[in-house]
Amino acid sequence: MDITPSLLALQLVTGIALGAIYALLALGLSLIFGMLTVVNFAHGAFFMVGAFVGLYFMGLTGNFWFSLVLTPLVVGAIGLVTERFLVRPLYGRGIDYPLLLTFGLSWVLIEAMRILFGIEGMPSSTPPALRGAVDLGIGFFPKYRLFLIVATAVVVLALWLFLEKTRYGLIVRAGSRDGEICRVLGIDIARVWLAVFGIGCAIAGLSGVLAAPTRAVNPEMGIHVLAESFVVTVVGGMGSLVGAVVAGLLVGVVFAMTSLFAPDLAELSIFVLMAVVLLLRPQGLFGKAGLMG
Amino acid sequence: MTAAIALIRRHRVAAVILFLLVFPLLMPYQALAINILIFGLFAVGYNLLFGYTGLLSFGHAAFLGVGSYLTGIGMVHLGLHWLPALLLGVASAALAGVLIGWLAIRTRGIYFAMVTLALAQIVYYAFYKAEHWTGGENGLRGIQVPSIELAGFKLDFLNPTTKYYVILLFVAAALWFVSRLLASPFGAVIEAVRENEQRAAACGYDVARTKLLVFVISAALCGLAGSLRALHLSVVPIDSLHYLLSGQAVMMCLLGGMGTFFGPFVGAAVFLTLEDVVTTMTSHWMAVVGTVFMVFVLYFPAGLWGTLVRRIDKASS
Amino acid sequence: MSGVPILEVEGLSKHFGSFVALNQVTARFEPRKLSAIIGPNGAGKSTFFNVVSGAFPPSAGRLKFQGRDITGLAQHEFARIGIAKSFQITNVFKQLSAHENVRVAVQMRHARYQLFKPRAAMAELGERADALLQRVGLADQRARPAADLAHGQQRALEVAMALAAEPELLLMDEPTAGMSPEETRVMMDLITTLAAERSVILVEHKMKLVMGICERLLVLHHGEFLAEGTPEQIRANDEVRRVYLGQG
Repeated sequence: MDITPSLLALQLVTGIALGAIYALLALGLSLIFGMLTVVNFAHGAFFMVGAFVGLYFMGLTGNFWFSLVLTPLVVGAIGLVTERFLVRPLYGRGIDYPLLLTFGLSWVLIEAMRILFGIEGMPSSTPPALRGAVDLGIGFFPKYRLFLIVATAVVVLALWLFLEKTRYGLIVRAGSRDGEICRVLGIDIARVWLAVFGIGCAIAGLSGVLAAPTRAVNPEMGIHVLAESFVVTVVGGMGSLVGAVVAGLLVGVVFAMTSLFAPDLAELSIFVLMAVVLLLRPQGLFGKAGLMG
Repeated sequence: MTAAIALIRRHRVAAVILFLLVFPLLMPYQALAINILIFGLFAVGYNLLFGYTGLLSFGHAAFLGVGSYLTGIGMVHLGLHWLPALLLGVASAALAGVLIGWLAIRTRGIYFAMVTLALAQIVYYAFYKAEHWTGGENGLRGIQVPSIELAGFKLDFLNPTTKYYVILLFVAAALWFVSRLLASPFGAVIEAVRENEQRAAACGYDVARTKLLVFVISAALCGLAGSLRALHLSVVPIDSLHYLLSGQAVMMCLLGGMGTFFGPFVGAAVFLTLEDVVTTMTSHWMAVVGTVFMVFVLYFPAGLWGTLVRRIDKASS
Repeated sequence: MSGVPILEVEGLSKHFGSFVALNQVTARFEPRKLSAIIGPNGAGKSTFFNVVSGAFPPSAGRLKFQGRDITGLAQHEFARIGIAKSFQITNVFKQLSAHENVRVAVQMRHARYQLFKPRAAMAELGERADALLQRVGLADQRARPAADLAHGQQRALEVAMALAAEPELLLMDEPTAGMSPEETRVMMDLITTLAAERSVILVEHKMKLVMGICERLLVLHHGEFLAEGTPEQIRANDEVRRVYLGQG
């Protein structure tokens, strides 16, 4: 196989597109962890639900954009219910309990999708409006991959604006450092936690519907994705939103480039990356040193 | 009554072994009993790390799988006899424990679960790809153990009852070892680390080294369970290294009772029996067990056996 | 002052990001004396305590114990070499009984990596633990879970655990914090007897307590060395008076 510059560029774009999905997933995870100190072991499952629900809405309405907007809302709603009734009772208990609960939830969600949509999964295809490739001078790039990158950039920007520029975002950021402040200011911290969990899950669902055209959609897809999100989180640093984005893109690119040169080692490569980061900088590229080691 | 309970407590290993000796008679068929024995050991090994030391690992399938695969590889590819192959499995699992444990312990608290899961995935992918040795997706086949020679007796390993008691020999030895460990001064250090790491360090204990030692011992025990499983099934399915199996260890421990000696066994028995029963009624086993597990996390975190033990403790004090 | 100081710091500094908690502190503590580190709130006493007790390493400077440089030594090594501490916020093993708390601490010196012998059979551990509980006045509480003990009793438990390490140097961070006057008196009596047989360094901000029983004082202010000397010298020190009286 000839490694031409355009092939490299194409693979790079593929990697960035993959990284965009990872970045979104890690953002959701970090948001939930930073705010609630909960590691959402159902995050991969919410991603998977997003993919299924997204395809379902697409099949129902034939409209990708409609599905793109509605799916995160649906998944976010499931997240809200989860936090309110399943996770909230566990807050006093110890950091492992919400993790364990979300793990159990993931099993239920996987089976729920099997019941609703069958064990084989659903066929997925690129939405008609985003099919084909675009000539960017150095080569042809798949429209959908480019769309993914742009869409993710928009979401990340929106999230950044929300956190940095709005009052509610300020509460979220303050609350993640010190719940006391919120209580003193008379803000219902429980509402904030509820909202953040919902948003985190909605982002996971969004990444699912975005990713659906690029991979096989089956009930087990969330399991691998969970491990991969953890890799991104460890590399970027838990609780760091910048870290989630940077690490997500890095992991995506590493995977794509390794696929090109040593396809057999592609999956392994990102875990090896994580191991190296653990060796040299256990808190992650952007994590705070106090959290680790 | 209290005297009887105190007696059982003091000789808990003997009590458990006595129970396990008659256990096959309570089970509808031997294969389930054998499975409970193997996964009971898996859960006990895991419990040492999770229940007693307080470290939530989500990658222990790696050690079960390494034990299974290395035992299988030893017999199928290296022509080893079953006992050396079993020891190879255990030793390999312990080595994996050193590598994964050392890396994972560099992280703190909540990260530990994620890191162990991810590191176990490395093992999964590595074994998946090494098709020549492991059979890849199809698993490792051809682990022939028709008979076992012990103390001059030739035992028919294909007979389920015989198989059960041979495996029980190893499980009993492992349980005795775990009991001694927990009762030793080191056992107190383990619990101190779980209770309050900072305090334990101030007392002079090397917390990281303690955690690593427990991690390796736990890995070895799970590796033994894996080795026995390979001998039992005559194959090693690729699922042995899968994250879902790691999750099963967690579930069994919580359902039974983490931090208790017999709890993990109870958890394994309940889990596997429930699976056996439920899968005849519906194919949606994962939803059932997921729901049961969530109920326990919310309302019975001490587990079945753990809750029982607490009730007994309260009644006697 | 002849002989090797039990504890010595040279140019000790500690920053947290841009915040300078300690700045070039140099001081010596003589062995077999009851010394105290005092200063107004925010003087850096707690940070100083944490550095010399091994909770975290200094950003700069050196720490010496009996002449030996121990800068950057790991926390768990401190108890092993003979420096034991009690925390400002009580830090015991809450689910274990008082006896078990102390026994675990005793084990460090006598049976650390024993994996096989049943600890119940090691009678000397239990005996030492009970002796220490007796010493701090908790003999009758030995079977109670530490979480159920009164605040003053928990602090006494901490002292027993620190003593279990058989330390040459005992560091105590505000040992009478949150105690009633009666509990305080009992604790100070205990500290006085302990100081007769080993070196004791306290961090305290209750001036009256410290002036009465300590032999040497180190005064910190804004993370820097302010003064060092006997209580009389400190009382007469103009700068110290200004700093404390100025605080209102």
